Amino acid sequence: MKKAVRLTALAGAAALALSACGAAPEETTGGEATSDFKPCIVSDAGGFDDKSFNQLSFEGATAAAEELGTELVDVQSASESDYKGNVESLVAEGCDAIVTVGFALSATTIESATENPDIDYILVDDAADADFDGNADAENIKPLLYDTAQAAFLAGYLSAGYSEAGKVGTFGGMDFPTVTIFMDGFKQGVDYYNETKGTDVELVGWDGKKGSFTGGFAADPAAKTTAQNILDQGVDVILPVGGPIYQSAMDAIADSGEDVALVGVDADFYESDPATQDLVLTSILKGMDVSTKEAVIASGNEEFDATPYVGTLENGGVDLAPLHNFEDKVDPALWEEVQTLKESIIAGDVEVKSYLAE
Amino acid sequence: MSADHKTTQLDVPLSETARTVTVVTWKAASVLLAVTVLYALLLVAVPHSGDTRFLLSHRGDFFQIPVIVVPAGPLAWVCGAVMLAVTAFVAVLTARRTRTPLWLVVLFALAALTGFLAWAGAGSPRDLSVVGLLGGAVLWSVPFVYGALGGVIGERAGVVNIAIEAQLLGAAFTAAIVSSITNSAVAGLAAAVFAGALVSLVLGLFAITYHVNQVIVGVVLNVLVVGLTSFLYSQVLVPGAENLNSTTRFSSIPIPVLSDIPVLGPVLFNQPLLIYLMFIAVPAVWYALNRTRWGLRLRAVGEHPKAADTVGINVVRTRYNAVLVAGAVAGLGGAFYTTVYLSQFGENMTGGAGYIALAAVIFGKWDPVRAAFAGLLFGFASNLQNVLSVVGSPVPSQFMLMVPYVVTLLAVAGLVGRSRPPAASGEPYIKG
Repeated sequence: MKKAVRLTALAGAAALALSACGAAPEETTGGEATSDFKPCIVSDAGGFDDKSFNQLSFEGATAAAEELGTELVDVQSASESDYKGNVESLVAEGCDAIVTVGFALSATTIESATENPDIDYILVDDAADADFDGNADAENIKPLLYDTAQAAFLAGYLSAGYSEAGKVGTFGGMDFPTVTIFMDGFKQGVDYYNETKGTDVELVGWDGKKGSFTGGFAADPAAKTTAQNILDQGVDVILPVGGPIYQSAMDAIADSGEDVALVGVDADFYESDPATQDLVLTSILKGMDVSTKEAVIASGNEEFDATPYVGTLENGGVDLAPLHNFEDKVDPALWEEVQTLKESIIAGDVEVKSYLAE
Repeated sequence: MSADHKTTQLDVPLSETARTVTVVTWKAASVLLAVTVLYALLLVAVPHSGDTRFLLSHRGDFFQIPVIVVPAGPLAWVCGAVMLAVTAFVAVLTARRTRTPLWLVVLFALAALTGFLAWAGAGSPRDLSVVGLLGGAVLWSVPFVYGALGGVIGERAGVVNIAIEAQLLGAAFTAAIVSSITNSAVAGLAAAVFAGALVSLVLGLFAITYHVNQVIVGVVLNVLVVGLTSFLYSQVLVPGAENLNSTTRFSSIPIPVLSDIPVLGPVLFNQPLLIYLMFIAVPAVWYALNRTRWGLRLRAVGEHPKAADTVGINVVRTRYNAVLVAGAVAGLGGAFYTTVYLSQFGENMTGGAGYIALAAVIFGKWDPVRAAFAGLLFGFASNLQNVLSVVGSPVPSQFMLMVPYVVTLLAVAGLVGRSRPPAASGEPYIKG
């Protein structure tokens, strides 16, 4: 009896240890370190394998570490409760620059940056402006921002033109500004198409203020149900915004038995996930790899500059991916129009509204 | 609900025929009245004008029913009137000391639901897909129903099965790997059954052989399996995602003729194998528990193990047997996640479904059929919020995400009446 109790307690302790703790920092890049600069990166709950946003930032930071001849220390967060502990553990590791990936890590980053003014912080996807004064709350945070609404505008225009059902859909992971900026841009693109062509293409899942969200950034059953309900409305293009939730959407598309095209976000899905190749119409690119790499290298060369970086169509920080397999399914004239539209947005002739472009 | 109308047999025969006294409570009537009042308040406080579009068939269905467009306000009030009428009728019946028939409660629920949907969908350009709502409810209820069946079998034998969550998650994980490697959904299903039983074996080892507190073992198992699967997921499944975590799924099998019935056809008869299996499993478990020697012995062990032992039933073996079957059945529910719904495993993807299944066990008063219906109710509540968020309901999405749990809580706390668990549930049997 006593023995059994002890065994149970042991099993319980093991379970808690396995599930509760975040991963310990691990050194990934092999080889001899030639520099004593120590770049570090922490993911949000999506993990570095999300085939999207965390993965891109991770790739950028890895490339920077290689170029600097040093080793990248990375740590993944399994849940929101890990953020603080993970950032603290990186500070304790003696990191010189810490890349925090995601809007969700903003508060933790501000707190840690204020306490450790000697460390350079690179915050992906948020302005680190909790007091809304227009500046980052600590001088050692470089926010990397992306006006993805511009690229999403193009995707919306393209999707509206491509849709035969006259209905396109979108849904997000959570109601975060970095998520809704895609949906906002997409909506404006659809509206712009309707205005210029006199058509009446509908957007399901986002009305400019409210929309469909899965409640998380995981390819879980909730994400599939959300996708399914949007497909039930008869859409033939769908834009899932939020890391891996598109994988659930693909299952929903397979079950519906209909020809539904997928629009990717962050990375070019055609390249990052070969399983999507038959479905992906285009992707809304967010150049996190390039900008993260540049910011880390700048920090490594002691040229760290805390002015926010804003990716736009103009500087190539955001873009629309090529059509790949859909090249012969999309009217070349429509693709031409998208290219012209891109020029107009860069020139400022067509205005795309977003919280970054006010 | 039968608990409201307890029939007391007096054991002193006053006449030739035994006298029965029916005790009627006002609970049913007051609950209905409260719901009606809340409903009316909702309509008055947040009025909605416009039409609601009910979509009853999908592209490709045999019978095409045009979208039914109804003015939301009048429909909602008509439904409210029906609810009020039912409440009044129930009150009259109660005053006359007559039982409330089940069909009245069902009518009330239907009216309340139709009215609420009409109100929620008012003015929205989107179609409210009734097939999607009901079909999704059936799908969502699969893990709840299998989990609840597993819970019922275990508890009727006297072993509290808190570990349903662990059985679901462990089964989902195993099914994902096996189905991915073998490219066979059936193999995944078999592996899920095995994994569920394996979790049960651990539960049995501690709870039956070592007499450890069953609730504690169950909770620890739940946490252990979350940790173990998350660990293996990040170490094994993520690096080898293409070979180990992209499963082959069951596809839907339409049953000829039946699947062409409008609305109910696609909801009930155009589903994957695992769902048909569920339709069979519920009555099968009921039959096995109540009409077979196996079930009689199992229940005897759960009610009074000492008496069962005295007449020569091997209590330990019977309990092990029950717990393993329970785990296997719950494992079928776990297979739903990775061989029916999604083509990959995700960390902690069951998200507490096992606990809801546990609530369904209690709500269903340890009866397999009632527990299954409770699971269906919870499945419906889970899906309702998804459908309404697409329609653009005025209810905030965060509130809707809470709905399944509120329904669970209300169901278990308020509506269930008096429920009595098997007498020896949770009691280890120590011979001598």
